Amino acid sequence: MADSYRVEPDLKFVRQLVALGGETLKKCYQCATCSVVCPISPDERPFPRKEMIAAQWGLKDKLVGNMDVWLCHYCNDCSTYCPRGARPGDVLNAVRAYSIMEYSWPRWLGRIVVDSRFWWLLLAIPVAIYLVLLGATGHLHIPEGHIHFDKFFPTLYVDLIFVPLHMLWVPLVFGIGISRLMKDMQKNAVADGRAKRTGLNVPDFLRYIVCTLPVILGQFKFRQCTTNKDRDIAHLLVMYSFIGLFTVTGLFFVALYILQAPGPYSQVNPVKILANVSAIALFVGILLMIRNRRKEKGNMSKGGYFDWSLIILILGLVVTGGLTELTRLADWRYVCYPMYFVHLVLVFSISTYIPYCKLAHLVYRAVAMAYSRYSGREPCE
Amino acid sequence: MEKKIAVYICKGCGIEEALDIERLEKEAVPKKVEIRRDHPILCSPEGIDLIRKDIENEGVNTVIIAGCSRRVHYDVFKFPSVVVERVNLREGVVWSHKPQEQEAPAEGEAQQEASAEGGAAQEAQTEGEGTHVDELIQEMAEDYLRMGIAEAEKIELPEPSKDIIDKKIIVLGGGVTGLSAALDVAKAGYEATVIEKAPQVGGFAAKMRKQTPWSYPYESLQSPVVEQIIKEAEAHPKVTIRTGTEVARIAGAPGMFDITFKAPGTRSAWDIPAPLEAAEGAEAPAQPPGADKATPENPANILAKNPDAERFGAVILATGWKPYEPKKEAEQPKKEGGEEPKEEEPNYEHLGYGKFPDVITNVALEKIAAAGTIVRPSDGKPVSSVAFIQCPGQGSDEDFPYASTVTSMVALKQAKYVREDNPDGMAYIFYQHMRTLGQNEYFYKSAQQDEGIFLTKADIVGVSENGGDTLTVEAKDTLLGENIKVSVDMVVLGTGMVPTTKDDPVLNLAYRQGPGFKDLDLFDGYSDSNFICFPYESRRTGIYPAGCVRRSMSIAECRDDAAGAALKAIQCLESAYQGLAVHPRSGDMSFPDFFFQRCTQCKRCTEECAFGALDDDEKGTPLPNPTRCRRCGICMGACPERIIGFSDYNIDSIGSMVKAIVVPEEEGKPRVLVLACENDAYPALDICGLNRLNYSPFIRVIPVRCLGSVNVVWIKDALSKGIDGALLIGCKYGDDYQCHFIKGSELANIRMEKIGEALLSLALEKERVQQVQIAIDEYDKLPGIISDFMATIEEVGPNPFKGF
Repeated sequence: MADSYRVEPDLKFVRQLVALGGETLKKCYQCATCSVVCPISPDERPFPRKEMIAAQWGLKDKLVGNMDVWLCHYCNDCSTYCPRGARPGDVLNAVRAYSIMEYSWPRWLGRIVVDSRFWWLLLAIPVAIYLVLLGATGHLHIPEGHIHFDKFFPTLYVDLIFVPLHMLWVPLVFGIGISRLMKDMQKNAVADGRAKRTGLNVPDFLRYIVCTLPVILGQFKFRQCTTNKDRDIAHLLVMYSFIGLFTVTGLFFVALYILQAPGPYSQVNPVKILANVSAIALFVGILLMIRNRRKEKGNMSKGGYFDWSLIILILGLVVTGGLTELTRLADWRYVCYPMYFVHLVLVFSISTYIPYCKLAHLVYRAVAMAYSRYSGREPCE
Repeated sequence: MEKKIAVYICKGCGIEEALDIERLEKEAVPKKVEIRRDHPILCSPEGIDLIRKDIENEGVNTVIIAGCSRRVHYDVFKFPSVVVERVNLREGVVWSHKPQEQEAPAEGEAQQEASAEGGAAQEAQTEGEGTHVDELIQEMAEDYLRMGIAEAEKIELPEPSKDIIDKKIIVLGGGVTGLSAALDVAKAGYEATVIEKAPQVGGFAAKMRKQTPWSYPYESLQSPVVEQIIKEAEAHPKVTIRTGTEVARIAGAPGMFDITFKAPGTRSAWDIPAPLEAAEGAEAPAQPPGADKATPENPANILAKNPDAERFGAVILATGWKPYEPKKEAEQPKKEGGEEPKEEEPNYEHLGYGKFPDVITNVALEKIAAAGTIVRPSDGKPVSSVAFIQCPGQGSDEDFPYASTVTSMVALKQAKYVREDNPDGMAYIFYQHMRTLGQNEYFYKSAQQDEGIFLTKADIVGVSENGGDTLTVEAKDTLLGENIKVSVDMVVLGTGMVPTTKDDPVLNLAYRQGPGFKDLDLFDGYSDSNFICFPYESRRTGIYPAGCVRRSMSIAECRDDAAGAALKAIQCLESAYQGLAVHPRSGDMSFPDFFFQRCTQCKRCTEECAFGALDDDEKGTPLPNPTRCRRCGICMGACPERIIGFSDYNIDSIGSMVKAIVVPEEEGKPRVLVLACENDAYPALDICGLNRLNYSPFIRVIPVRCLGSVNVVWIKDALSKGIDGALLIGCKYGDDYQCHFIKGSELANIRMEKIGEALLSLALEKERVQQVQIAIDEYDKLPGIISDFMATIEEVGPNPFKGF
């Protein structure tokens, strides 16, 4: 602390935060009400007051790579009680959006994903790939007879696209992002004394992930929020239905390639039941999220593109998935096959763009929460 | 005039229930007073009619009304050409004293009456129609009535002094305040003359790029309003503007100030010679030559009259401010063995002012900004980043001297200039206090909202060169939670506005007490008055400071302030015209009368008058200036020869009241004289009555205009007739004085200390005379103060002079 920190405000960074939904950031006058009312901030060097002045002064290196930005769960107690309407919750949300963009690889893709002008491009990519693939293999028509997706879009093609995407692309992009984030977080936290432990021991760090998992799965932090408590159930439903659907996908992959048992499966198959229940839960969860965002909540924003793009994507995913299944059961092939096509476009989008969109928080927040425990900022419950 | 006295006793408001009215009349009213009446409600139309008839039919010219306090119904009991004396039986006696022996407990009226009849012999106090009368309270009422009659016999209706009054107003200073004041004066129908030292009017406001907002929504900078004011003032037929002019001397008094002008910086035969008031105890220097022999090198004495002077009625002082100039680094090495050291000036070596050409003051920046794009003094290059330092730092949170709300607002304003000139420009403001009160907060918010303006509380460590051509500002204890450094092209110091009255009398008054306002060091040189309720008052009647000479103000505030001073100046003219006091005894017609044959020229009155109302004539005798006078009577209290008095308030009138107090010789009935200042203490006593707070029935209260008017002879009279003690209740004195006449309570305190020594020589205890200070809202403390004093008197024992 003896050394002076040379301040070099980055006006461009300030403008970007404003564009990402932090337009109130300049209103803060540093009263620290936010840090006092925050139910989840650690007592030592609490957030979000210090993040607010760093945002005002355009101090990018104090915000991007600051674990506290990720410890924030967007309760918005701070925004509710802020006497100036500076909405610290939204400012930190904007910083997270910026961080996701900053840690993405390739970075240009990150920029495109957060930019509302390019939503059509993101959807056009899978559409183009599918059209070329189906056209080249002579599948670009509605097949005759009972609905069997394999006839329209062979499962092998689907898996040829998605398996590398999930197994290689997403882990690679996240891996690069996590390693950058870890380096920055450590530097940042050590510099101002928030990290009680300065080195980085990877196996030890992994152990802290284990102790963080219950907090995440139980949404323990989220539940400490007060003013925005009603988000709890919606988020829980969405989170667990994604886990459910991911499990179902994995099990059916095993069934197809290892047990050699291709679908469609019976509706009373336990795995199928899990799939249907998860889909319904996701539908309910996402509707609750939409309702919640549309409510008037005083000092809180109603979300920007970064937020709504994901919500609409998930809504589209669950609606097209459900309609595909229902029209299949009804044997409406002229509706069912196109619906399946749209569904696959959306599945491609969410899978490919995970590291660049708001959903990336599931990885970055988990890493930051684990690092917080590892570094001694928060205890391991 | 032969006095025809009539006494009226009101029986309303509980007076009849607590007092034996018949006995009161019999005991307290002398036989020679033939007309004595009582009435159930004297303030009713019937009651007033009763008095009026006596005035008309019986030739009554002095009316004594025993009832409520003189502070109420003064408009009801008002009869032209009749002396009206009020005796405070209600608040002062009945409401503030509960009978000692309680009436019989709640067993019933019948029993009470029976006991009253049966036990009449035993109960000496119980008299009349079964009403319980407390003897001590009855005595109190009788004394007050006697005192009222005694006073009424000694006072006359005042007659106003008639002077020839000029109703023109002069405004010193042609900045925003001066011009606005002149316009306000002119719009009210009076003539105003503005004099300005500089070759053009407008002051500093005319040299600004923009001004801080003065109208809704108070968010953005506005073009200076001064041009519009100048145009309006120049066009107004009742406003005369003279530039390149300053005051050589202001002689005379309100309504008749004779003012001599001169060119700025020149010497004049009418300059004020060195102040006559020398250091305490020293002989006054010889008077410089009179008008006939005066030269610029040896100007005329203060009594000399300039036949060519121009006459004005009142003065508005709006000479404003000058920039505070921090000591330059080059000046730091002090001259050894030079002149005696001046008052210690703060040292800002660490800020590099004077060392780095790009460290400048906010005034210097304003000049650069007004000329165009902000450029650096060192190389003339436009700036992209500027640090505004509002507080010199180095561990202290003191701002620059004379910094204020204006300084904070100017930093925000100039930060906006930086942003106006360069869209990527950055302005840092390092402050300890951001004083943006009231609507200024909107401006603060709008500046804060600017992405290129960075605000933080900070303790500045220093300014240094940054290798290249930029400067580094280092600060600690910032809101960023750590010590920071910024590289900037320019550093601006948030220096303050020094009132022009700090080092210069400005007014150049030909007054015996000196050419300027007195004791301004209490207010760091600002022409403040510390009159907490009367902001425009100064210690010189008829001279009203306004604008930045009173405190640092924004342009908008200056305009409002100008209106206030303009109205005060007009009030002064109109009051002087009618021979009335202006303030705070507005409308008082009396003025001090001097019996000069007996004057010993001791000069206590001329020295002690807080308002400089008295000069000396050629022979050294006090020379009164009635229109300068506030009618407080401090001179009357000061005069050892007791030759000063007012027609309705004088040594004899109060002395007679003291003498009218009956001093019983019996044990257990002490008497204490209370002299209560009528501005705070006397109203506070009335409020005690209003709230039924009880205090000792042994005190006898006499209201006085100011404790400063208390002549020690009254105390001596009281003690020599056997009164056991005297308690003076006045206003707070000292640096935060609340005395309406500034020095009154302080002077009284000094006089009472001296009287203590005199008492000792008479073998009387010092403790018998005490002075306490009270504010009007501390009325609830009064019963305690009085009972404490009574306890002291009891301890000291009865006055041995009783019965002599």
